[in-house]
Amino acid sequence: MFRPSKIGFALALCASAALAACAAPPPAARQAAQPQTFVISAIPDQDPEKLNRLYGKVSDYLKEQLGVQVVYKPVTDYAAVVNAFRTGDVDMVWFGGLTGVQARLQVDGAQAIIQRDIDANFHSVFIANAAAGIQPFDDISGLTALKGRTFTFGSESSTSGRLMPQFFMNKAGVALSDLKGEPGFSGSHDKTIKLVEAGTYEAGVLNEQVWKSRLAAGEVDTNKVIVIWRTPAYYDYHWVVRPDVEQKFGAGFIQRVKQAFLALDAANPAHKEILDLFGAQKFIETKNENYADIEAVARQIGKIK
Amino acid sequence: MSSSLSSTPRATTWAPQPLRSFLKGGRLVAIVTLLAVAWSAIQAGLFRGDLINVGGWALVRQFFAAALRPELSPDFLLLTLEATLVTFAYAISGLALSLVIGFVGGLLSSEVWWLSRRPHRQSPTATLGSPWLIARSALAVPRAIHEAIWGLFLVRILGLDPLVAILALGLPFGAITAKVFSEILDETPRDALHALLNGGAPPARAMLYGLLPRALPNLTSYSFYRLECAIRSATVLGVIGAGGLGYQILLSLQSLRYQEMWTLMAALLVLSGLTDWLSAHIRHALGAPTRLDVNLGADCAAEAAVRARATSGSRALAVLLAAAAVLTPLSLWYVQPDLGKLFAPRTTMLLGDMLRQMFPPDLSPANVVTLFSLSAQTLAMSVFAIALAGLFGILLAYPAAHPARRARGAMLAYSAVRVFLLFCRAIPAPVWALLILFVMFPGPLPGALAIAVHNLGILGRLIAEAVENADKRPAAALRHAGASSAQAFLYGTLPITLPQSLAYIFYRWEIGMRETVIVGFVGAGGLGRLLTEQLSSFDYGGVTATLIALLILTFIVDLLSTAARRAIR
Repeated sequence: MFRPSKIGFALALCASAALAACAAPPPAARQAAQPQTFVISAIPDQDPEKLNRLYGKVSDYLKEQLGVQVVYKPVTDYAAVVNAFRTGDVDMVWFGGLTGVQARLQVDGAQAIIQRDIDANFHSVFIANAAAGIQPFDDISGLTALKGRTFTFGSESSTSGRLMPQFFMNKAGVALSDLKGEPGFSGSHDKTIKLVEAGTYEAGVLNEQVWKSRLAAGEVDTNKVIVIWRTPAYYDYHWVVRPDVEQKFGAGFIQRVKQAFLALDAANPAHKEILDLFGAQKFIETKNENYADIEAVARQIGKIK
Repeated sequence: MSSSLSSTPRATTWAPQPLRSFLKGGRLVAIVTLLAVAWSAIQAGLFRGDLINVGGWALVRQFFAAALRPELSPDFLLLTLEATLVTFAYAISGLALSLVIGFVGGLLSSEVWWLSRRPHRQSPTATLGSPWLIARSALAVPRAIHEAIWGLFLVRILGLDPLVAILALGLPFGAITAKVFSEILDETPRDALHALLNGGAPPARAMLYGLLPRALPNLTSYSFYRLECAIRSATVLGVIGAGGLGYQILLSLQSLRYQEMWTLMAALLVLSGLTDWLSAHIRHALGAPTRLDVNLGADCAAEAAVRARATSGSRALAVLLAAAAVLTPLSLWYVQPDLGKLFAPRTTMLLGDMLRQMFPPDLSPANVVTLFSLSAQTLAMSVFAIALAGLFGILLAYPAAHPARRARGAMLAYSAVRVFLLFCRAIPAPVWALLILFVMFPGPLPGALAIAVHNLGILGRLIAEAVENADKRPAAALRHAGASSAQAFLYGTLPITLPQSLAYIFYRWEIGMRETVIVGFVGAGGLGRLLTEQLSSFDYGGVTATLIALLILTFIVDLLSTAARRAIR
């Protein structure tokens, strides 16, 4: 039997759903992008709310410099950002070394334009839980200490959290099968720190800039996590822009974007905030050719076919 | 059965029947099943070293400690409300699409539709012919692919748009619904239809007046069951990036913010619990109390239809239709899909691009060897997971069935077990997998456990319902004859409910097989993990090969499950 109380309940449910919907307007409606919006995004390599804060500021700055609407579109995983760049849902992305190469291979004419001062000379750090008893070392051969240990990378597609570390491990003669259990893929640099700190994994590897910035912010318990090795330098993060932005926003637009980043000056407090969030002193120009080594390593490890 | 009168004629023949045929047909199934479970335990790595990562217990303790202090700041509560609405709106929009597909597809793939168009031919095989076969096979592929894979595929051609989530949910659900709808239509009594056809009514109109009204309660009932599934799937789609509760839970988990996670999980429990409860009551009102008649014959569907007609089902239907008419547009407005994308030239271009990259599939010897070993691993994951879920599901289902007498102890156990089961099924399998990965090394076993926990929640309740709906008289008779309550349970209740329970377990095996992919996405082994690695390397030839392996595996599991269910029927 369908008693009236149930009908009432069903109606009340509909009504409350309607009311709730009015109370909280659709998220899409609030950030609906106009066709002439310059959409930027970034690989989700850190805590999402940190990214939101950083790219919110970057969007505001670019909007002021370029005179066009700028929107930051958060994306959940590395491959998804590459895909969004390919489909043209986003115009310019802050990519890692590997994802930048993957993206450029899928979009003809896409250009690596700008990177931070630190990216031309980037490092990863191998970290370990202090209780694991792994001593810091200076030579790459020291990586053999990881044999028989539990170990986590960052995201599958991370350059500093997976690609280059795996490359150096191979070089030192440490195969993934030498680790204890299968290696973890934590998903982000922040999570790698937390998992190693908690002892879930005895060791892990991450991007040096994120490590330094969390150290400076006092977010790492250095009694529990220690750095055991700093990798040699390689090229990493950079902004990659789609070629069709010049049709959308006019000839010379890419040059204007470059200028906007080059103009960031650590002496200006507003600029310094953005630079600090990026962990950089300044931005510098870069070019596609800088990532040839990354591409070679990626092909060797199978991340680019 | 709620009404003892209507089931009288059946009880005499039906009650002993399942047990007898179960023992006869079931022996082979039982032996094969036991062997398969043993094999799967070994394959999944149960006896391999290095399973438990003791370092992770600290995080597990933090996780449970946070349950006492969920995040309750106004900002976060608003975010939770928004996320809940997004998940609900995706579920409703996707469900609406799937019902349209399901209704049309169900009609076209039913025997009765094609038979009624050519009523004079007697042999069904000769009559049904190719259109029926085409409709049936066209629905098989979308059904075999998990919603999450649809999502990952669609996002590559449609871009980041809510449309992706709606289609990803609607297409496979539509194909599943079409299959069940066609079965319901075929099992609905045809006397009225034949009378109208013989009276000269055109086939379409004869269906409309002679068959559909009698099938409607069962169709509606099944639709409501799908709503429960849709909420769960919308959450999973959130986990892979569509937004809503699944997405927020994943973000909180990735940042290890457990207090936020508990708030979100509470919202998911409420949403899921309310949907399940509402669905159960409405289906009860429609006179079709079982969720899935996976193993019952035509007589049950017919009986339900007759019973529903006798009750005031039509009023309930009117209210439901009104609710659907309000909720569907509201949901669509809330998620704001860009329908223009479907027909945009960019979509066609990207689709062409993608297909070109996907073919030919990577069938190099090395890859085929990998696929074989990972297929075995994936199959083992599904068998082991469902065996665990089934075993604990049966054990928990009896306390989870509504007690006949409202003794306090029984009611307490009933409530506790029900909440536990709700918790298990409301949390999506990938989230369970991420939690389990805190304390276990990546590999097939944590994935299998995640699927087991999620399906335990579903199976426990399905079986509990079977127990509630079972004929109570054999057990009562035994009690009156002086049997202890344990004996009455063992000889009176268990034999009646066991075949139905096993049928549900085999049915969930089909779903569990599909779910191996989504736990693979978060690093828990099998073909899913390979697929993640291939997708992040943009190795589309490899992706196609993996999808083919998955399709073959899914079809094998579906066939075995159907055969097993038939054998124990």
